[in-house]
Amino acid sequence: MTDMNKRVSGAPGRTSWQREAVGFVLGLAVLAMLPLVFTDSYSRHILIMAFIYAMVASNWDLSLGYGGVFNFGHLALFGIGVYAYALLTKLAGMDPWVALVASGVVATLAAVIVTIPILRLKGIYIILVTFGFAQLVMQIIISQSDITGGTQGIVRIPGLYIFDHNMVRDGKIGYFGIALTLLALSTIFLRVLVRSRIGASIVALRDNEEYAISRGVSLVRQRMITLAASAFFTGVAGAFYAAYQRNASIDVFGMSLATIVLSMVLLGGTGTIYGAVIASFVLTVFAEAMADFGAWRPMITAVLIILVMLVYPSGLVGMIQAAWGGLGGRLRRPT
Amino acid sequence: MALLAVEGVCKAFGSLKAVDEVSFTVAPGEIFGIAGPNGSGKSTLFNLITGIPFAPDRGRIVFDGDDIQGKPGHAIARLGLARTFQRETSFDGLTMFENVLIGASYGKPDRAAAAARDAAAEALEFVGLESRSFGRLAGELSVFDRKCLMLATAIAMEPKMLLLDEPASSLTRPEIETSIGLIRRTAARGITIVLIEHVLTFLMSLSQHLLVLNQGRVLAAGEPATVIADERVIEAYLGTRRAAA
Repeated sequence: MTDMNKRVSGAPGRTSWQREAVGFVLGLAVLAMLPLVFTDSYSRHILIMAFIYAMVASNWDLSLGYGGVFNFGHLALFGIGVYAYALLTKLAGMDPWVALVASGVVATLAAVIVTIPILRLKGIYIILVTFGFAQLVMQIIISQSDITGGTQGIVRIPGLYIFDHNMVRDGKIGYFGIALTLLALSTIFLRVLVRSRIGASIVALRDNEEYAISRGVSLVRQRMITLAASAFFTGVAGAFYAAYQRNASIDVFGMSLATIVLSMVLLGGTGTIYGAVIASFVLTVFAEAMADFGAWRPMITAVLIILVMLVYPSGLVGMIQAAWGGLGGRLRRPT
Repeated sequence: MALLAVEGVCKAFGSLKAVDEVSFTVAPGEIFGIAGPNGSGKSTLFNLITGIPFAPDRGRIVFDGDDIQGKPGHAIARLGLARTFQRETSFDGLTMFENVLIGASYGKPDRAAAAARDAAAEALEFVGLESRSFGRLAGELSVFDRKCLMLATAIAMEPKMLLLDEPASSLTRPEIETSIGLIRRTAARGITIVLIEHVLTFLMSLSQHLLVLNQGRVLAAGEPATVIADERVIEAYLGTRRAAA
């Protein structure tokens, strides 16, 4: 006899949102305390860069990890954010904070446009088209050198401000706070999205496209939502990067940056959001710690990434889960 | 009036006519069987009706008063035409409950979140999956449980019609018995069923009308008992008398 009034509460098999919120706040508190330990502006610069990487990588995890869409133009969305901010503040004289949000919107629109040609494509053909899109954006920026500065880039871009706070001589605490706030907002946005039914439909399309369509999921609509949602905070991160560095260059469209961020997504473990954030910290801090190794640095990093992925195919998150499970087992064991 | 009317539907892949001038109607409330040897065009016919992944080259398909040929697959599904796939199919990265929630919410987009959750839980229990396993990832389930889950995702859409593509394939004898009962109970909910199967006995025990396809064409159609007595049907399944001898 089944009771039809019985309600299924929460999401069975998933961490409850209350528990996740507690973990999120704790993690955020730890990150917010870091400037107390790292008082010099160079260490804080490294942390700010890690926050920017974390935003770009975790948003890429939405389209790549959850959506299974091989968007190799993700860094172009970051670059669009960089240039949108630079042009809006320098040429259009827009307020930096308004320009920061507007850059996210511009990146989102770019993502919607790039969705159209890839709707009917699969796998490597999506890589080809999105990679071509990134090259196209870079070529446009180079060719329009009158406004974009071409290969010279743009310098003296207006920075962000916080009331009358002096952003230059504050040991980078101002930019640290903004970067951490943006990362927190981006992560909340991504986690709420992937836990929603929209998030479930994104995974459904990844796992089996035809089956998802047969259950009423619109491929066009959901794929557009996936790429657009992954673009907004990526564009904002680009704008923040431009404001922080005070200059823009076409290097952001290069393969080396894309490779670094991709290795963050994969090392962290796809389809978790947090994995990409954690891996961004690990790789950024690790690269700094190994500065003395010079040319050996990228090689040691590569070997370590390969080792982690061999032992834990689900990345750092899988490693943490295994460690946590082992610890839990030991604690539960009767003595 | 027929719930589904298929008129002169054709689909060719190069020079191969996979479905050739097929016409039939399905009345509301019945279980309609489609038989035929492997490669006779049964699954292709389902693909054409549901628009997943392709529409017919020619012909007309009317479902519940709507012309549906050429409509996108998700739109056809939302009109109340659900299907299952021959291979056990699931969203492996989602839990069982989330799998069914996809059907319950996207298959009926007007439904509120709470109503979708209730419909999902009800559909899972209806197919016999226990509530304490709702949190398991679909990728971990057995073949039979995945088939049941696939049926639950369809039932959660509250479809008017359900197209079942070889529900008995790769199942054991007792599992097939359970499936027959489940299909009967699904029909009893008021869902019209079109069933593909190449095992004739399975079809005979369930369907009120039977259509036999061979090489993309309708070979015979009508009452099951009459259809399987048809000389041409026996020939398609067993070969000609002379060849058999």
